[in-house]
Amino acid sequence: MTKLFHSVKLIEDKCKGCSKCMNNCPMEAVRIKNSKAFVIEDKCIDCGECIKVCPYNAHDIDRDYLEDIQKYKIKVAVPSTTLYAQFGEYVDPGIIHAALLKLGFDEVYEQTYACDIVAEITKKEIENTKKPAISLVCPSIARLISINYPSLIENTIKVLTPIEVAASLIREKYEKAGYKYEDVGIFFLTPCAVWLTSLKQSPTKQNPDINGIIAIKDIYSKLLKEIKSGEIEKLDVSSMSFTGLSVVVPGGLCKSINSSNYITVDGVKNVIKVLDEVESGKLQDVELIEPFACSGGCLGGSFLVENPYNARRLLDKCIKDTNFTYSFDELSDYYMQQFVENVRNIKFSNQKLAEDFVSAVKKMKYMNELVNTLPGTDCGQCGSPSCKAFAEDVVRGLAHIEDCKYINLGGDVNEG
Amino acid sequence: MSNEILKLHYDIATGDYLKAGEASSNIKKALMQLGVDNKIIRRVCVASYEAEINIVIHSLGGYMDMNIYEDRIEIVAADVGPGISDVALAMTVGYSTATQGAREMGFGAGMGLPNIKNNCDELTVDSSAGGSTTITMKIYFK
Repeated sequence: MTKLFHSVKLIEDKCKGCSKCMNNCPMEAVRIKNSKAFVIEDKCIDCGECIKVCPYNAHDIDRDYLEDIQKYKIKVAVPSTTLYAQFGEYVDPGIIHAALLKLGFDEVYEQTYACDIVAEITKKEIENTKKPAISLVCPSIARLISINYPSLIENTIKVLTPIEVAASLIREKYEKAGYKYEDVGIFFLTPCAVWLTSLKQSPTKQNPDINGIIAIKDIYSKLLKEIKSGEIEKLDVSSMSFTGLSVVVPGGLCKSINSSNYITVDGVKNVIKVLDEVESGKLQDVELIEPFACSGGCLGGSFLVENPYNARRLLDKCIKDTNFTYSFDELSDYYMQQFVENVRNIKFSNQKLAEDFVSAVKKMKYMNELVNTLPGTDCGQCGSPSCKAFAEDVVRGLAHIEDCKYINLGGDVNEG
Repeated sequence: MSNEILKLHYDIATGDYLKAGEASSNIKKALMQLGVDNKIIRRVCVASYEAEINIVIHSLGGYMDMNIYEDRIEIVAADVGPGISDVALAMTVGYSTATQGAREMGFGAGMGLPNIKNNCDELTVDSSAGGSTTITMKIYFK
């Protein structure tokens, strides 16, 4: 089996086994074992819901911090465009960029050009893609499809994400200027946890374009201090495009490619509903589906500070104040080749109950019998999120039947 | 003919548009757990979904069984009525008897049975006006 690399880690000392994450995980990927949470990696899509709901901050990711940028001669920050909407009130992006320089970066690379390239490629690729085409700008969705919807791979748009495109452009620039790979450190200022996984797993390249991932919430207070100091001069951000800015919000990409026939859906459970329909053969007359794992799109990311609704207001203002957009009469073949990924690192995760068909059938029979003897109350005391999940866990050897305290009473309160 | 090696049963209520699709979604999950090929899963998905929707829209209620044999998947979608008066006509693309209400919900495009036919290897429709309907869909593993 291909081992999937995951960003979300559990800090055992902090976990009290409260089961909040288990009950809120949209993938039913969390179990409680010996009073500690435990993530079944083959089911996890790194959506970060467990990070959001954990009262003890026990779910976290290995990420980078400001100290880590010191390892490089040239330190480049690539902020997610969600950063411009995090300060409660409207702050000019030029001021935010200047504040980032104060934090020790040498360059702030704004992402909107890369976003526009991705939109342009998406527009072109829709023509060659089975309908409805599905955008994979959110890496959690790419994982969801690889886990639950392998047959929808042919519907996905094969293009790198904006941050991957941005990092590649930055590398190229510094390489041309004569810098060695190890001199330049590129740091993505991320709104959510999933990027660590996708960027580390990402390209086929030996040396990844991105050197580190810094959570926006980790640098927030320092940034705010610089912004409030009033001592900084704003940088020029006239090359920022309104279409690029909007890619992080639901509907942004679709509008930026002028599609009038699209579905935008946010929240893993809602995305699952829509993808179920696609798999059943529906929605074939839809041009593009733009799914986000987080409610509110990237503005709902687990590493942001501002509430997503106010953030939406602030980003909308930012978009409204920007009059510029990139126009691509003809996107160069070079870009098309470089940024269109034929197999965008989608690794299938296997859900087989057993290696061979006959054993899998046997296990399924046992599993179904088991479901009928369980109370069906989904009480969660066994450490699995539902009775059905518990039955599957038993069959897979992840749980013992004795873990259910009510199994002998089964039948009375049964059926569902 | 050998007996099925696994049988999964799903009851389907009439008019329950909110839950329409649940049975076929469970069937899909089961096939993934059995390690069935993705292309076959997709075909079963489309066929079973359409059959399920047919029961929800047109019938007075029924059930869907997935029977797994060594060489094939057989899906039996059966309802208690009111039956199809002209099966040949019902197989025509675009023909539908769906009510206005169902059409307003986005169903009733007249693609149900034709879609089922396109996605299985063998299809039998056993029905008569006023009686029950049983649709048997066979999809072979190879």
